[in-house]
Amino acid sequence: MPKMKRRSFLKASAVTAAAASVPLKMSFADYKEAAEEEEGYKIPTTCNGCSSMCGVYVHVKNDRVWRVEGHPVHLKSRGRICARGHGMAADMYNKGRVQGPMKRNANDEFEPISWEQAYKEIGEKLTETIDEHGGNSFLWLEHGVRGQRYANPLLDKIGSSNYVTHYSTCFSSKTNAWAEMVGTTLNGDHENAKYMIFEGRNFAGAIIPHGMNQITKAKENGAKIVVIDPKHSEIAKIADDWIPIKPGTDLAFRLALAHVLITEEKYDKDFVNGYVENFAEFWRENKDKSPEWAEEITGIPAEKIREVAHDLAANAPEAFIEPGWHGLHCHYVNSTQTAQMGIVVNALLGNFYKRGGLMPSADPEFGTFEHDGWSEEEKGPRADGAGVAGEHYTVEASRGIAQTVPDMIEKGRIKAAFIYHFNPLRTAPDPEYQKKIKNADLVVSINIDWNETSVYTADYILPESYYLERTEVPQAVSGHISHDYPQISLRQQVTEPLHDTKPLREIMQGITTEMGMGELYDYSLDDEIEAMLEPTGLSAEELKEKGTVELQTNKVEASFPLCPSGNPNLATSTGKIEFSADKFRADGKAGIPTWIEPKVMPDPSADDEFRLIHGKQPYHSHHVTSNNPDLIKLTKKYNGTAMWMNTKKAQKLGINDGDIVTVSSDMTEKEIDVKVTELIHPDCVWISSAYGGFSDRLETAYNLGVNYNDFIPVMVEPYSGTTMSQEVIVKVAKGGVS
Amino acid sequence: MAQYGLLIDATKCTGCHACSIACSQYNELEEEVDYNRLEFVERGSFPNCAMDIVPVQCMHCDDAPCVNVCSTMATFQQEDGIVGFDPQKCTGCKACMAACPYDARALNEARLAEKCRWCPEMLQQGKQPVCSSTCMNEVRLFGDLEDPDSEINQKMAKHEVEQLRPDMGTKPRIWYIKK
Repeated sequence: MPKMKRRSFLKASAVTAAAASVPLKMSFADYKEAAEEEEGYKIPTTCNGCSSMCGVYVHVKNDRVWRVEGHPVHLKSRGRICARGHGMAADMYNKGRVQGPMKRNANDEFEPISWEQAYKEIGEKLTETIDEHGGNSFLWLEHGVRGQRYANPLLDKIGSSNYVTHYSTCFSSKTNAWAEMVGTTLNGDHENAKYMIFEGRNFAGAIIPHGMNQITKAKENGAKIVVIDPKHSEIAKIADDWIPIKPGTDLAFRLALAHVLITEEKYDKDFVNGYVENFAEFWRENKDKSPEWAEEITGIPAEKIREVAHDLAANAPEAFIEPGWHGLHCHYVNSTQTAQMGIVVNALLGNFYKRGGLMPSADPEFGTFEHDGWSEEEKGPRADGAGVAGEHYTVEASRGIAQTVPDMIEKGRIKAAFIYHFNPLRTAPDPEYQKKIKNADLVVSINIDWNETSVYTADYILPESYYLERTEVPQAVSGHISHDYPQISLRQQVTEPLHDTKPLREIMQGITTEMGMGELYDYSLDDEIEAMLEPTGLSAEELKEKGTVELQTNKVEASFPLCPSGNPNLATSTGKIEFSADKFRADGKAGIPTWIEPKVMPDPSADDEFRLIHGKQPYHSHHVTSNNPDLIKLTKKYNGTAMWMNTKKAQKLGINDGDIVTVSSDMTEKEIDVKVTELIHPDCVWISSAYGGFSDRLETAYNLGVNYNDFIPVMVEPYSGTTMSQEVIVKVAKGGVS
Repeated sequence: MAQYGLLIDATKCTGCHACSIACSQYNELEEEVDYNRLEFVERGSFPNCAMDIVPVQCMHCDDAPCVNVCSTMATFQQEDGIVGFDPQKCTGCKACMAACPYDARALNEARLAEKCRWCPEMLQQGKQPVCSSTCMNEVRLFGDLEDPDSEINQKMAKHEVEQLRPDMGTKPRIWYIKK
């Protein structure tokens, strides 16, 4: 009788035998509340398929992680999770994981090293480096922000200001504009909105499942969804109106929206009078930015721009331009001004702190864990120049400039680098340039798998335990969606580590002990959890059992923050929303957003020139998921690596659907197959941000598709320090690379 | 006896594929096997164009061609309307695969023609199949067609619905809300 052969996460992998012998951590039997329902048990924790950290339950069966479902309480998942959330659980068993600490030897190959020996060698080298070049020659580079908690004690102790996140490759133009103009960030209240604009913002690609649920529910209740994007993205699928804008010109569109609202007096005058600073200056600068002016630049008919402005006004304050995230906010030389104009248009609608408009996150009051061993030395200037007068003064120092690390090393500013949960060789521009990170005297990569950065630059790889194998400190559940009450969630260990890996705190304790600073991390995770939860009234035990808990305190209110005197009390110099950013002016730049041309534009007379744009597919989180067999199965089934090209442009170039083409920029040329489609603006071609793996130790991702970062040089957007990742023109020719 | 059916509102689908991967993991499917898929159809021309997405899977037909052609009763109609599959009886003749108008059966490495079971273990717990329960946009609503108060019947009554390939006379248990 034939037997059903079930694929398991462990199938045909070298770790099978090892995994089968790993005992379960039975102390967690305490939490297997639903064990009676099904075979095995389930543990609540948080997802790591992207940085939203949705609450999940992970089911374990026959000693193996079996499947994942959304946590019913967690406000980002509410029982539902996306493909990434399901797929990435299986990555625990991925063959691409680094299975124990590694050291690069004299033959430029990696060999296993014991943790003790690695700590000793790294500790000695780092001490030497600090003695010789000072503490400020040390760089901590990470995706952000989970590692910061364990980076800070060391950075403070040795006196380094160099904590850098991936944010400049992702969204710093937005956060910089909001910090300067509003002093905080707000989220769209999708559930209660009547009119939502998603401009360059693919909410159905980046995906917060419950956020999408709220958006589709709002639509069922009559809300209108307008998507402005050169590509018909997944969120455009449910839009009432898709307006394909000429890429790079969103700033002009937003200026024209403001123009209509002001000239036709459709803006909220009471709100502007009470809560906005520099309105008159803004208008003086932008009086000429009419819809007709914008039509020329954006390709959107002036009447359409008026219609959108009128609809926004008619539905205000339950109307907004979605504040967005990656989309538009590290893409162009005018990205900061585009983000500023998002704030201006929303403020003109008077939607700040309004139901159906923009609302704050509800935040729990965590306690602070204090440790006797911590001290803070004087720090030097940041090596990336973020916030430094005369360098990148207007860039947020708290976020830094991730793409220029090789430059910091070349200038002698950085001698040693720890890279945590980040892969700049694949997710920052110009990988050949990024490979020069190797030139630092010491590079330690603390990552899960054999990513490009580890393989090409690291002296040591210290593998962190997978997210299902570790417990972290409690998190506030917030960001991008609106919810009245704060929630706290906990990432906790589901199974014993499969390999010889450790959580970050232990790794840092091991290294610093060898440096004679063992006191820095001489505490337990339980100490931290207890201290953080203390003011919430929640016990660690309850949080571990429930995974996510909603508090009934600190409810957010739909009211503008005011001082006791009744004046506006935002964290800006006037307490109001400032249409002119002080810090930009102090640096001799324009405080008020006005039109700035994109850095490059395709030659309209050259049919083979396109702007190269990119975006997130709903089943990948940029490159980090690209070695996951379950998710790549979707890529292959649905031809996810193909480059989108407009049908008419393809016809002019003699390109048919499925043809192989050569795409070239000043940086490189690559072969790729083409998806010919009506669903994209003719001025651009689009690729997913997921592909182009070049680490041969990640065999699923290796050589699969191309990546936009191959085509762009390292650039620094003048206001916010971002990569300007869509300021690139490519030429496309039929046929492969000759 | 409950009679199960599925109502799909494809207008809300944004193509995230969570349904497919949740299914693969729940049923521990081999890499080459899928029980459900999305079909993407473009219409119109730039800039007045759009994308339709149609989730497709075993339709659990009342008059199922796969049941009719199966000589060993490996594929059979359950009392609750679900088209069941008993791998122990399957000989791998592939007649069901040829007969299915929806291309909903997949041959595994053991050469058995697997298919969607509508997650009977979940149904026993009163839950939706995993493709439905994970769907962020609530595209899929599974329920009891016999119960006049069931959510699926109430929703079906409010919308015009259609089925895939009604011309095949298979009487599918899956309905789609018309645009």
